[in-house]
Amino acid sequence: MTPSSEIASQSYTLNCRMSQEAAALERLCRVVRVRGFRISKMAMESAGDSLDVLLTLEGSRPVAMLQSQLEKLHTVTGVELMSGAVARSRTA
Amino acid sequence: MNGSEHILAAFHRHNISTVFGYPGGCIMPLYDALVDDVGVEHVLCRHEQACALAAEGYARASGKLGVCIATSGPGATNLITGVANAYMDSIPLLVITGQVPSALIGTDAFQETDILGMTLGIVKHSYLIDDADSLPEILEDAIAMAQSGRPGPVWIDIPKDMLLADVHTEAPAPIEPAQPECPDISPALAMLREAKRPLLYSGGGVSLAKAEDSFRAFADSSGLPGVVTLKGIGNAGRHNLNDLGMLGMHGSRAANRAVDECDLLLVVGARMDDRATGKLDGFAPNARTIHIDADAAEFNKLRPADIALRGDLNAILTAFTDALANQGLVIGDWQKQCRTWHTTGGFRAADNEEPLAPITGPAFVRQLSGIAGDDAIIACDVGQHQMWIAQYYQFNHPRQHLTSGGLGTMGFGLPAAIGAQFTDRNRTVINVTGDGSFMMNAQELATIRRYKLPLKLIVLDNQCLGMVRQQQELFYNNRESHINLDDNPDFVAMARAFDIPALHIERTDQIRRGIETILAYKGPMLLHVAISREENVWPIVKAGASNKDMIDEPRKTSSRKEQVA
Repeated sequence: MTPSSEIASQSYTLNCRMSQEAAALERLCRVVRVRGFRISKMAMESAGDSLDVLLTLEGSRPVAMLQSQLEKLHTVTGVELMSGAVARSRTA
Repeated sequence: MNGSEHILAAFHRHNISTVFGYPGGCIMPLYDALVDDVGVEHVLCRHEQACALAAEGYARASGKLGVCIATSGPGATNLITGVANAYMDSIPLLVITGQVPSALIGTDAFQETDILGMTLGIVKHSYLIDDADSLPEILEDAIAMAQSGRPGPVWIDIPKDMLLADVHTEAPAPIEPAQPECPDISPALAMLREAKRPLLYSGGGVSLAKAEDSFRAFADSSGLPGVVTLKGIGNAGRHNLNDLGMLGMHGSRAANRAVDECDLLLVVGARMDDRATGKLDGFAPNARTIHIDADAAEFNKLRPADIALRGDLNAILTAFTDALANQGLVIGDWQKQCRTWHTTGGFRAADNEEPLAPITGPAFVRQLSGIAGDDAIIACDVGQHQMWIAQYYQFNHPRQHLTSGGLGTMGFGLPAAIGAQFTDRNRTVINVTGDGSFMMNAQELATIRRYKLPLKLIVLDNQCLGMVRQQQELFYNNRESHINLDDNPDFVAMARAFDIPALHIERTDQIRRGIETILAYKGPMLLHVAISREENVWPIVKAGASNKDMIDEPRKTSSRKEQVA
């Protein structure tokens, strides 16, 4: 659970639904960075007042921790970890 | 009404009667509206950082929303440290800044900064107003958001033209924060009943949830031995026999021992901060964990929770208390063991019985605690004196202890004390500070004078950055690096320059008289206390080490008489 127990970097795909507000995307990316993940791929689509952002991430910390931090953002209305998202694994 | 007038209307709707600010170019329309408003007291601090910290002190002492105001550019950037401090300690703050006119945003205009972008990481949420008609609703959202769930700062950046523009919308009805349902506590209760050595580990979340009474009822009815974080000091009150005090880096040996030996950790409103846990692998190694918090993101962040209960702490703690009413916990042996540890391993203040001996920080704080009374508010800064206050001052309530926990902001204490004094002009408010911290916001002496605040200032002056010096001594082969402050100004003369009378003491036999004198004085007064440069805070755990590897004070041979706090 802890940074000291990080041993392997894994890849995850998160689908984030957000409201269209100032700096919504910046807030999302900032949390991903600060919580120890790297964005390897990002796709964004605007749908009315919402933004759908598909993130492919790499990181060695538990993705559930990132998910709960993203859900705290007031611009984020939902975060879904895509099933079978662990695409690959490597030793850090 | 224009945008500025809508801001003041929101203040009135929410009974916001005191705000802390500093005017400037782009916020001038709001200051113009303040001229005609007699219902809002605007406190002019002398630096925007102090505005934010004073608003925070006001919020911490009162449990209300703190409000600070500044202009664009440097006014806004000066707020950042104070707002970061509020974010780290989850203090409800409404931050309002002026911004350059909408048409000039992005042109590198005079006093333009992208304050929204700069502060994304230190706010619960933030807004840049781009439509004056949105302002009433955003104000309602911001005020509700800052105070709901896990509180925090919410920042509204308002271009000057939006402050001047006519607003064609009305404020919506105030938002009633939705309370999460009380979770099912049955599995946690069963786990608690199974435990032989359960320990209550509480933090600042108790007072943030205004759950002090529920917490005390639970602590009393369960009889659980308890440890507290820096922000949780006072949760159990002054007279709880099962309270082992602060855990962690400068925690008591008793508290850290209990954590090490417990088989169940019941965490209430604490976030497993590294200063509290030390090396995580060695923290409560034999314990299962029940974690109660308002913020789901704290669960499993640093330590897995066997059971996580999210919700209103009041409701959850009351449910536990009710459940234990019919059948209490059978933990008599464990209670007895913890009390023995407290007797032998509580904080030990060395009282020097030689009247002419130099003053030590712990001995001074112990006497202050005995004299200042049950109701005084202590606002401290950051460093050795902060830890001596945490260790030796007997707090009766967490809102009496204003301290910068998460960010560790030197310069916090004086403006926080000013803010606290505005919650009640007749209450005893004492800023206990060090010589390093005092100089970080010393300009606020002018604010004390302007508003004739009866604040008491105590400067524990060791002529150095004591906590850094201590760590250099212990962990950097005693290689002192840039900690010397022996060219401090004459603090007594400095206070007097602001019409604040001041006293100097340096001997043990002067402590009581000095404290009594400043407390008896009707107005503000400063007590300058010369203490030894070599005094350390004990015990100490090296950063990154396990709490069980704490280092005690080397034995001293003197006439000192140890007393357990």
